[in-house]
Amino acid sequence: MRGTTLITGADGYLGRRLTAALLADGDDDLILAVRAKDNAELTAKQDRLARQLGQDAVGRTRVTAADLSLDDALLDIDTRAITRIVHAAAVTRFNVERDIAQRVNVDGTVRLRAFAARCDNLQRLAMLSTLYAAGRRRGDIHEERFDDAGFVNHYEWSKWAAEDHVLDAVGDLPVSVLRLPTLIADDDSGQVTQYNAFHNTLKLFYYGLLSLLPGDGTTPLSLATATFTTSAVTRLLDPAIAGGIYHICPDPADTATLDQLIDIAFTVFERDAGFRRRGLIRPLPCDQESFEDLLDAADLLRGGPIHQSLSSVSPFAHQLYLPKTFRNDALRAAWPGYAAPDPIALAETTCIRLIESKWGRRTQETP
Amino acid sequence: MTDVFVDSFVYSLGERKIHVNETAAAGRLISSAQDLESAGFRWHHVCEPGTTAYDLAKAVTGELADSDRLGDVDAIVYATCLPLNGNAGDPREWERTRDVKYLMDFPASRLQADFGLHNAVVIGLNQQACTAMLGSVRLAQAMLQVERDWNRVLCVTADRFPEGAKYEQAYNLISDGAAACVVSRQPAAFRLVTVHQITNGGLGQAGDDETVGSYFAYTHRLVRETLERAGLTAADLDWVVTQNTNDKAWQILARLLGVGFEKVFFSSMPDVGHVISADNMVNLAELLATGQVCPGQRIALIMAGFGLNWQCVILEATEAVATAAARD
Repeated sequence: MRGTTLITGADGYLGRRLTAALLADGDDDLILAVRAKDNAELTAKQDRLARQLGQDAVGRTRVTAADLSLDDALLDIDTRAITRIVHAAAVTRFNVERDIAQRVNVDGTVRLRAFAARCDNLQRLAMLSTLYAAGRRRGDIHEERFDDAGFVNHYEWSKWAAEDHVLDAVGDLPVSVLRLPTLIADDDSGQVTQYNAFHNTLKLFYYGLLSLLPGDGTTPLSLATATFTTSAVTRLLDPAIAGGIYHICPDPADTATLDQLIDIAFTVFERDAGFRRRGLIRPLPCDQESFEDLLDAADLLRGGPIHQSLSSVSPFAHQLYLPKTFRNDALRAAWPGYAAPDPIALAETTCIRLIESKWGRRTQETP
Repeated sequence: MTDVFVDSFVYSLGERKIHVNETAAAGRLISSAQDLESAGFRWHHVCEPGTTAYDLAKAVTGELADSDRLGDVDAIVYATCLPLNGNAGDPREWERTRDVKYLMDFPASRLQADFGLHNAVVIGLNQQACTAMLGSVRLAQAMLQVERDWNRVLCVTADRFPEGAKYEQAYNLISDGAAACVVSRQPAAFRLVTVHQITNGGLGQAGDDETVGSYFAYTHRLVRETLERAGLTAADLDWVVTQNTNDKAWQILARLLGVGFEKVFFSSMPDVGHVISADNMVNLAELLATGQVCPGQRIALIMAGFGLNWQCVILEATEAVATAAARD
């Protein structure tokens, strides 16, 4: 039976791709909830989404303004029609401020849960979370509800807190929590259109602005593409698949370590004539205390790029001292034959594209 | 290989001692005074308008002469960080006459004449930036190895920033200053164990943040390679005398190198800041003055500078160190 899927954050990096995937692979009508402060912004977002989604979207999508940080969000949506909800709206910066994380990621999720409770025909409430809702845990991390183990940044904390609110509704609502990996490229080509701490760290190394490597070299890093993640989320929205908690990430055996990723990154960098000319040497692993000292020192370099770049990298860097292996048994059971990108090959192609685009600068300069 | 010794460390600073707040208020810094203070800087020394870099060189050489430590010098290695300090001529004369001889008024030659060092040859060293003083020691050692009839080399470094310059480089508060030491065949306070240099011309035009960014990996490599060259380990170092830079930098490097931070010595930092290529000499003189250096102890002197260059000297204190400490 044709249903209606509500996607929050539908114009975001992942929301947009999920919308396209659901248009291509399903027959649901889609309500695309976007933040817009006024009609002009809403119209601009509608136009942009129409361009990006193309003909598939005509007649099957409706774009609506919904700011989940406000109490009146989603009031104009007919709750009886909604059969699935994908909650993709979030602030995903690792350096998000506590109050913004609370307002958008936590309170927004609470409002969405209340909305979901009014949807009588709801078959799935899927919240997109992060693997790092695990916070300061180490070792094997299973697909289960987390208690508060402490967090290295407000982003992690807010996603954990949001999960907690959603998981409280298990039994009343058909809840899924989908914990996502670090997205380093759009697809296997290595193209990057959304930059995060991974890219910013490599940028610091490539431009010679950082010669210390924070973290334990054996720390596994779950990296993936937006394409893989979108496929996984789409799969897990199938009502035939049980709700619950899923880790959307490569198998532990196929997860690269920090050392392996740095090695492949510098192997790519060292092929670049400009990089070789600058004679930059591989970074020195440093302990957490030294990294903290570096951050303190960088705090005084206010005028320069080191300060700016490190401030975006540091909120995540602390995770590199907390090795953890994300188990994905539930994902594998729900999606037999799934294939995550090879992490080394993905890191290699991504680094190549980063150099080519000068971390997006060259792309932006192209009309 | 003939043993070479080093001692007679002296320095001179610009006459005006100024607090970082005053310099900030005068618009002669890039960072805020608060940030520089947080990094460990307080005061710095600036030359009066009429004082030249050569005047500073003359002051340190005069101090050696006055205390009978100059001796019969066979060579003068005159190092400057800023190439313009390698010319004592009046730029206005060059502008007026277009005669390039005013660009070749060499301070080393003046020094030789002013102090009657008639047997000394002169050598200028001006492309090693803040590492030039250590480079001059290396050059002196090498020359003493090959010039069989030479016994003493005077190493001098002297720099002052041009009028109107910002007194900050790569987030360091700068002082005008000079330093000197004598490298000789005769046993003295320190035996020169080894010297090592790394140059990365690919970062020759590095910005401040690139300079800071490369600092840890290159300084670590410098020290590691220097120790290997000398057949030593970090545990063999009793002291590490550094340049005056952000005080966190050596807390980090000490850990990376496996050197106890209590061995790292840069006591002059709040009082003088980064004295261009003279930091090591200022700090070493202060370390000696504490009386803590004992015979047999090894000291690493480490500097990084534009170019980019990194240099490290390892010295071993001899029985004469106590005498030198009392005298200096």
